[in-house]
Amino acid sequence: MTQSLPPKSLVLYADDDPEDIELVVEAFQSYAQNVELMTFADGIELLNFIEAVDPLHVAPCLFIIDINMPRLNGKETLRRLRRIETFAEVPAVLFSTSSLPADAVFAKNFNAGFVTKPLHTSQVHLIIDEIIEHCSDEVKKMIKKRNGN
Amino acid sequence: MTKKALSLTEFMDLPQELQFEVLHKHGVYVGKRKVERQTVVLFQLHGFYVEVYYKQYRKIVDHLISSNSTDILQPYLDQINIKDFTDGKKEK
Repeated sequence: MTQSLPPKSLVLYADDDPEDIELVVEAFQSYAQNVELMTFADGIELLNFIEAVDPLHVAPCLFIIDINMPRLNGKETLRRLRRIETFAEVPAVLFSTSSLPADAVFAKNFNAGFVTKPLHTSQVHLIIDEIIEHCSDEVKKMIKKRNGN
Repeated sequence: MTKKALSLTEFMDLPQELQFEVLHKHGVYVGKRKVERQTVVLFQLHGFYVEVYYKQYRKIVDHLISSNSTDILQPYLDQINIKDFTDGKKEK
């Protein structure tokens, strides 16, 4: 008998810094059974992708958006993302090395979370957990259940 | 009540774990550079600067260098645009 596995939750992450992408990809490995992480080099790439896909087939559960990116910064990416009806309510997190209160307010105004990038290893997994916390309750429950937590 | 900003001397006297915590909570990213194969990230913290030298990026810190001299900005000048100065911030 074959049993089909439930689809993985899709997380879309835009960041121009390859080292940060590498770090997040590695940190998400512990969720690899439950989460598929797709990465984009900047906000334009992310928006081009979501505008081109069929929302019935590709339904991200979370966007992670670096703030300082060339071509289109994270705040403008988030602003444009929220104008697309399909993605207006999808959880999103602005991800930044700085912890500026103004950015946290901006994120809140656009119904997004704000997470500061880790400084060292003991913060990495805490921060990934903090990011996952922004997923919908349904997704969080599924991730935690399948991760055995 | 307004919190008093931490001085450079007070920051340097903190245990390293606490320095990381303060930097993570209040540091403003200025820029990133490579010194040989080492990644170095510069933050502005209150009225001074802190450079984080990594053995392994965002994982293992080799050492920190703190300074209140703007000379520390020199290697990062190509990453700082004038708008960041006028806004008093830089994001990453």
